[in-house]
Amino acid sequence: MMRKVGLDFGTSNSGVAVYDGHSVRLLPIDRQNIIPEVVKSVLYITRDYKCSIGQAAIDQYYRANVNRLRRFVRQWAGEIDYSGGEIQYVRDVYVFVDELQPGRLLQYLKTVLRKDLPGGYVGTQVFERYFTVADLIRVYLGQMKERAEEILGERIQGVTLGRPVKFADTPEQDRKAEETLRQAALEAGFREVDFELEPVAAALFYEQSMTRPGNVVVFDFGGGTLDIAVMRLGNPQSRKVFASGGVDIAGSDFDRAIIEKRLLAQFGLGRVGQQPEVLEMIQAVPDWIALPELATPQNRNILEKAIRAGLAPARLKSLLALIYNDLAFTFYNQVEAAKIALSSRGAAVISLDDQKIPVWELYTRRQFENDIQEYQAGVEKVILDTLAASGLEPAQIDAVVKTGGSSNIPLFTEMLGRLFGQEKVVQSDAFSSVAAGLAIRAAATLTLD
Amino acid sequence: MVTPQKIEEWIKEAEERPESGLLILKLIAGRLRDLTERNEELLSENIALQDGTRVEEYRKRIAYLENQLEILTRRLGESEAGLVSGVAGPPKEATANLLAYTALGRILRIELVEATLGPGAQLGCLTGELQAGGEPVHLMIVREEEELLLLFTSGRISTHPVGGLRAVPSGEVWSLDEAGLPDEPHAGEQLACILPLSRLVLSDYFMQASRRGFVKKTMTSMAQSVLENHYLGRGAVQKTDRPLAMTLCKKGEQVALATLEGHLLGLNVDDLSYTTEERLRLEPHDHVVSLFGVSPEATMVFLTQSGKVIQRAAQSLEPAKSALSKGQALISPARLEQGVRFVGAAAVHAPDRILVLDAKGNLSLHLVSDLAGSGALPDENPLLTFCVLPGRP
Repeated sequence: MMRKVGLDFGTSNSGVAVYDGHSVRLLPIDRQNIIPEVVKSVLYITRDYKCSIGQAAIDQYYRANVNRLRRFVRQWAGEIDYSGGEIQYVRDVYVFVDELQPGRLLQYLKTVLRKDLPGGYVGTQVFERYFTVADLIRVYLGQMKERAEEILGERIQGVTLGRPVKFADTPEQDRKAEETLRQAALEAGFREVDFELEPVAAALFYEQSMTRPGNVVVFDFGGGTLDIAVMRLGNPQSRKVFASGGVDIAGSDFDRAIIEKRLLAQFGLGRVGQQPEVLEMIQAVPDWIALPELATPQNRNILEKAIRAGLAPARLKSLLALIYNDLAFTFYNQVEAAKIALSSRGAAVISLDDQKIPVWELYTRRQFENDIQEYQAGVEKVILDTLAASGLEPAQIDAVVKTGGSSNIPLFTEMLGRLFGQEKVVQSDAFSSVAAGLAIRAAATLTLD
Repeated sequence: MVTPQKIEEWIKEAEERPESGLLILKLIAGRLRDLTERNEELLSENIALQDGTRVEEYRKRIAYLENQLEILTRRLGESEAGLVSGVAGPPKEATANLLAYTALGRILRIELVEATLGPGAQLGCLTGELQAGGEPVHLMIVREEEELLLLFTSGRISTHPVGGLRAVPSGEVWSLDEAGLPDEPHAGEQLACILPLSRLVLSDYFMQASRRGFVKKTMTSMAQSVLENHYLGRGAVQKTDRPLAMTLCKKGEQVALATLEGHLLGLNVDDLSYTTEERLRLEPHDHVVSLFGVSPEATMVFLTQSGKVIQRAAQSLEPAKSALSKGQALISPARLEQGVRFVGAAAVHAPDRILVLDAKGNLSLHLVSDLAGSGALPDENPLLTFCVLPGRP
């Protein structure tokens, strides 16, 4: 029999599941992770193009990169031509390349699918090779497939992939993002590829536990997007999607908000005066793409000069260490960990003390809720809009199913309780319900023979 | 950075959710503890800066680095000189410098042509007094640009470049009478050993061993003052004892002592004291014959005077747990009774060769990997000593 799986390719975490008609089995793809069924959506590519994903990628990155030596060499990158008056000029362009860089860690691969062209993120140079977004996703999906096949002991031919309700703002871009993802899956070796909306998948999984039919709102709030679906569930024959909606507000935005509002002062913001070059570096700290790119010899000179001039030396030393010791990933993880901790307690600490960087911030839930206040209105609006599009009233909703890591944030749980009634809000498995639902869909749509 | 505004926000959180109050208190208390510890360290550092201790420490470090720089500059200068002369003249044949030195301070430098150094090669014959001063001739292989540290039995030291020693070419017979006397031993002292200094910069300690099993380590960071004062110390406590060997090693490494009667003692460098202390309990008629550093991937080779070769993997070396130990016995009592004794020991790798000197002065070369198979050297004469020639033949 041909095998088709459900694969949730998430912004922060991914997972694979299979359904045998009775029960869903989540595959322990990442045995090095604390929860083996959840795979971090990160990819590490070494200088000799060996790729790893999940916890192995993170471990390898830490092992090879943190506090490593750097050696920059000047390389010819090409030439540009420009005209001044009637004269045409051609100039060589050189870049500084760190020839000791052992590998590159890539994350938020799904987010880049949404970036608008032109000028958006279409790919990246990894040492001597150029990888398009589709290439990167192909490598990631390929490794997921291989590991799943190893666990199942058989080849996998088909996959049902999850996709957010709204990949991009324009239908054209939305279609393009889905097409890129499909192409990557086909190149990864899947012969049959189809899609299901992520909140619908989560609903299918929730349906397994329902004892009677009802109207359900699925609130799928992950690392990259918020997806809402209003559905009739409980009886597969009368299953119906009334409406679905989404917005690109999610966990990564909250991380960014925390850094922007609370942590930039730790790296010198407000203390360096009118130093545009230094300010530019400080303001790049929340940007996970820009920060590693700052590690150039010129920037080091600028920072060291500012430190010698006594310009917030302790803060700029921290910035220097953050950039040049490859601690950006560690820093973002610390911020994310504090955010997650605040879902279950009133305060958490964001600290880089163990990395010898004097960053220590006691952060409370109250501060966090203030910092993400602006997003709350957007989230509430998309829920109400989707509900309005479904033609149902809040009183007609029987259950509100939360899934995705960000759905645990108390501010949003309270908001859902306020809109629909606290007793209706139920928590589905935050990281695995989408993959489980996709597996159910995969089993239902299997056409390969 | 704790601002009044932040404190206000923490208080509000505690007011809004009283259970957060305790958590915030715990987190702040933890931070306070860390900062107090750090403050303590900073205060100590401040005191060290103010009373000049730290300045003195940095001065010493600078002096040490300047000394290293001088050694490297001298070596580089010699290499460049070699390069310049190489351009002018015909290409020089690759050579290895064999030093044969006696307790009386005579050092014979023999230039061996690499091409002739195949396994089993009979290199020639060394004539003269092979056991001058009661000690057999010592052999060592060095590079021409190397700087040598000469340790005398009084604890005095001196340095001498290899290039400054008169070289005798490859041939069939070399006489120790032709050997130079770069630093004649003072009255009552003998030349104990010679140590190449190129690894000094990369090492943490000088490690000395005496004939009677005393060891002493000295930080190489003190090399500047040691060299300036021409004195390292005997590394021996008893009057009848004398320094025997010296090596350079790093923190975390192991060294081994091998004795005439076949005892092997492993020592963790980190466990050793900076003072001279007895670590090997020896019988009155036994004494140390070799001191060498042991890396985990190396093999230890022990040679008996009858040409038997004993090999042990480095992992089999058990570091001594007690302050005074007899070590592992490698020669059985029956063999000891038959008169079997070690002439030396060393750590080797598979591609290395060993150069053996027998009692009649014959020098022969053997591949380490061949010895594993045969377990004995083909020499018919009793052996006197040997040294390791690193690398592939």
